[in-house]
Amino acid sequence: MKKHLPRRTFLRGLGTSLALPLLDAMTPAFARTKGPAPLRMAFVYVPNGIHMPYFTPSVEGKAFDLPRVLAPLEKHREDFMVLSGLTHHNGRALGDGPGDHARAAASYLTGVHPKKTAGADIKNGPSVDQIAAQHIGKASRFASIELGCEDGRLVGNCDSGYSCAYSNSISWRSETTPMPPEVNPRAVFERLFGNADFSETPEARARRQRYNKSILDFVLEDARSLKTALGPTDQRKLDEYLHGVREIERRIESAEKQPDVLPALDKPSGVPVEYDAYVKMMMDLMAVAFQADLTRISTLMMAREGSNRTYREIGVSEGHHGLSHHQNNPEWVEKIARINVYHMELFAYMLEKFKSVKEGDGTLLDNTMLVYGSGLSDGNRHWHHDLPVIAAGRGKGNFHPGRHVRYGKDTPMANLFVTMLDRMGVPAEKFGDATGKLEQLSEL
Amino acid sequence: MPRFRCILPVLSCLTALSLNGQTPGFEGTVRPFLTKNCVACHNASVKSGELNLVPFRDPASLDKHNTWETIVHKLKTGEMPPKGVPRPKQPEVDAVASWLEAELERREQSIPPDPGRVTARRLNRTEYNNTIRDLLNVPFRPADDFPADDAGYGFDNIGDVLSLSPVLMEKYLAAAEKIARKALGLETALKPTAERYKAEYRPQSPLFFRARHYFPQTAEYEIRAGAGGQKEQRFAPVTLELLIDGRQAGLYSIDTDGEYRKPAVLRITVPEGEHVIAARLESTAQDGSDPRDRSKNMVVDHVEVRGPFRPAGMPSTPLSYGAVFTCSHDRTRHDAACVRSSVSRLVRRAWRRPVAEAETDRLMKFVEMARAEGDSYETAMAQVLKAILVSPQFLFRIEPDGDRKLNAHEIAARLSYFLWSSMPDAELFRAADEGSLLKPDVLQAQVKRMLADPKAAALAEDFAGQWLQIRNLAEWKPDPEKFPGFDEELRDAMYRETTLLFQKVLREDRSVLEFLDAPYTHLNERLARHYGIPGVEGEPFRIVKLPHGNRGGVLTHASVLTVSSYPTRTSPVMRGKWVLENLLGAPPPPPPANVPALEEGDAQLIGTLRQRMEKHRSNAVCSSCHARMDAIGFGLENYDAVGAWRVNDGGHPIEPAGTLPNGKSFAGPAELKKILLDDKDSFAYALSEKMLTYALGRGLEAYDRRSVKSIAAKLKADDYRFSTLILEVVNSLPFRMRRAERTGTT
Repeated sequence: MKKHLPRRTFLRGLGTSLALPLLDAMTPAFARTKGPAPLRMAFVYVPNGIHMPYFTPSVEGKAFDLPRVLAPLEKHREDFMVLSGLTHHNGRALGDGPGDHARAAASYLTGVHPKKTAGADIKNGPSVDQIAAQHIGKASRFASIELGCEDGRLVGNCDSGYSCAYSNSISWRSETTPMPPEVNPRAVFERLFGNADFSETPEARARRQRYNKSILDFVLEDARSLKTALGPTDQRKLDEYLHGVREIERRIESAEKQPDVLPALDKPSGVPVEYDAYVKMMMDLMAVAFQADLTRISTLMMAREGSNRTYREIGVSEGHHGLSHHQNNPEWVEKIARINVYHMELFAYMLEKFKSVKEGDGTLLDNTMLVYGSGLSDGNRHWHHDLPVIAAGRGKGNFHPGRHVRYGKDTPMANLFVTMLDRMGVPAEKFGDATGKLEQLSEL
Repeated sequence: MPRFRCILPVLSCLTALSLNGQTPGFEGTVRPFLTKNCVACHNASVKSGELNLVPFRDPASLDKHNTWETIVHKLKTGEMPPKGVPRPKQPEVDAVASWLEAELERREQSIPPDPGRVTARRLNRTEYNNTIRDLLNVPFRPADDFPADDAGYGFDNIGDVLSLSPVLMEKYLAAAEKIARKALGLETALKPTAERYKAEYRPQSPLFFRARHYFPQTAEYEIRAGAGGQKEQRFAPVTLELLIDGRQAGLYSIDTDGEYRKPAVLRITVPEGEHVIAARLESTAQDGSDPRDRSKNMVVDHVEVRGPFRPAGMPSTPLSYGAVFTCSHDRTRHDAACVRSSVSRLVRRAWRRPVAEAETDRLMKFVEMARAEGDSYETAMAQVLKAILVSPQFLFRIEPDGDRKLNAHEIAARLSYFLWSSMPDAELFRAADEGSLLKPDVLQAQVKRMLADPKAAALAEDFAGQWLQIRNLAEWKPDPEKFPGFDEELRDAMYRETTLLFQKVLREDRSVLEFLDAPYTHLNERLARHYGIPGVEGEPFRIVKLPHGNRGGVLTHASVLTVSSYPTRTSPVMRGKWVLENLLGAPPPPPPANVPALEEGDAQLIGTLRQRMEKHRSNAVCSSCHARMDAIGFGLENYDAVGAWRVNDGGHPIEPAGTLPNGKSFAGPAELKKILLDDKDSFAYALSEKMLTYALGRGLEAYDRRSVKSIAAKLKADDYRFSTLILEVVNSLPFRMRRAERTGTT
């Protein structure tokens, strides 16, 4: 039997496919085409807030301390800054009653107060990553990549009369179109590197692309002629469709200009059973996508907002959301802290990973603006102010890490995003509830 | 603290009011009642339950139908005014409630009927998979890889919520490519590979290891599991069980002697897609030695998958040929004429409507193109198929705008996606083509035929699975330390008990009241053991008569009891809420902001959960909603967080007795069910509402109430027979018509 299996294939699977460091296995063919490394932007989201007494450093400036939740980042303290005092006013009820989890996720990257609806008229705002994607997305094969580590398949009411769309996605392409995260690493891999068997001849491949192009022309025509018979709401649905088709067309064209990326890495076989392996694999994939310049913008939701995931591997058998309403019960606070630390350890892995990718004289992390946080601070009381925010990386000099910066009370979180958009070269005069740019990101 | 503020004004004005001698009507009855009993808590500044009733003292407010309906409901169930504030006399409450009911009814009748408007529905994942299965006869579930569909109004088939992101569009194209290859026999066999998953020792599970593996083709695979640890022969051989998706697939005897130890090897055909493979090893731990100690004990070391070998479903003429080609299924005999008629039939079935010649012509261009490239008819047909499957006409169910009755094909599509979560079959198509589907008797006959079809099981999976929320069971993780007996087999059995009940009621056209209470249930050995019901042996499910009312009806199903609990313990509040929301159509308003959830409460508080929860009722603000919710939830406390029967919790005896705000008392779950059964009207209304939402794929509006009421009334008149519910949904105005989207409204 073994004879049928090439030795290399056989060995690749050993020791779990996870243990294999993806990036180390890259061939030179994988490297980005020449030129200076581009600036990337990424957001990592954790649900249900963070226990702030264990997060916020008491000291400002360069000599900041690392409370318990930040401790896993000790090794990287010169590579991130803690931004305190930022607020999402639009995550608050503002007369809409309960539903803070839905609003936390929905407002997180948009700065917009989402419309309270179970479905009929979803309305949020475009998110910072998607605004950037619309401006600079054409430079890479994928305008953006949305990743998640929890399937949004739960049924029932997601949060007090808010459609599940709000808590499942932080990325919104438009006011009405959320970008649901991809939750299966295998599917992410296939999206990035194609599903094709690489044995396909160039001629066969070219022919397939010709077919696909005319198929896309066909369906574009279909969609356009259909639209005329429809009401405005249905037309919007077809606009989503048309946008999707155009994105694919663009991708085919880009593939024609630039040879396909051939990763010498194992295709993930699915969703790892263990959570830490799952999250790390998604982080690896994001790093790979950046490294190969397949995209410059990405988001990752460690879990959906309001998640009730249990974390047995760290001794937490209760659901995360349930625990977050801990009423200061010390036992519950302890468990929340453990979850917060666990997430942070995974984020430390991400920083490590990004640092391990060399780009010119620096690393991938040096060329990325990487924001980590949650749409709630105190999950127990559903606070939307004083949010936990970590801004990591140097963003090609746009971030000056290694500090704790405290901003004035209720400084809009959206100001951070406007500033980041500006640094990406994206004009954004109006964004959410932003009042201006955020100072002190790159300067001291 | 708003809770105290609202009690005093009520007291102060209590004595001053009397209804005697006043004319019934809004001014005479309702307004003074509100002023006296309600607005002290429900005003602009206090706004209990997010409700300000001050504007409702104006008769013009009677147009705000939903709120008024809720008010009437709360008065009738005795939830309002809440305990803890002085209550008006019952005749006073009755007079107001019945005047309002009659008035609301009268107003409702005077509103012109409005069918509403359904937004174009993108096929959700289930519908996509089922449609591909029925269109092409390929054993393949491509949509399992699509991003999750968002849900709204409790269901994942709501047009407004089903968005289409660029990622999904890519998936559609990739899926179409794969489907076309499979359907046309163009798939190539993949080379076998091996992948090994090493067990990493997690504290609790040295003897159990699982991994999720993607099987790239339906084919034979070799699944191997190796045992590691303790190297000397000390015991008789131990058993190792291999499981696929939680079900036993093989049982092996493993030598304990390290030198002779061979892996368990299972050769089995596995369908394409992701599956969870697992190995469970019998414990060799003795004398209290730590099972994790590899030097003393055996552990699961790894699981490995090799394959694919001999891929299935790739004969020279796959089954799907019959679905694609109209004439010859012999590859060598395809010609242009055959291909044209095949294209024309395929596109019509896929787009669920008649197709003009010109549309077929457009698709035939792909055939010409492929032939010019020198490709075979199969490859040519594959391009046509891809174009059909990526077209918005396949991916969306689109009904052109206008104030109109739906045509026969639109009705056929609505019917088939409602009852089967899939496309219309040939017979339904025929009835649509002939136009006879628009005749009431034909429509009724089609509905009955469709309900009798095995595909109607989709209603149990997709409607009941979401209505009762038991879909969540798949991801549920009860605490293994508190509930060590919970395993995949039990999870599966729980789910099946509930779907089997739904299917039985559906198939035998029984009363929908059996969902609330039935003298029987479906059990297999595993579940019967969980319930403590003796005499049920073996894996197959069978109907078991129940000796008493402690089991029977969805409320006593372990599935429902589990998903309405926390992973570690029960929550009477969650269960009560579950009942109000899903069975009685009376969802409680969310708790006021910044009011702590009591039961997750104070560490200092001691006593039973029940004693702690009494706090809810001693406080007017809480008790208004919790009086009913908690009583129901506590009535179900005999079931633990995975639905097993218990009489004690943490050393305290369970006290399941309770009294609802309407004064009815019960001694335990059996009597609680009887009380719920007294309120058949609420249940019928709630179920009709859910069914209509699901059937339409949109949230219900005020103008739909009339339809829901009529469905519920007819359901009642026909002894609650299931088929009547379905037929009345199908006959309802919103199912058969649509209105144009006017500017400024949606």
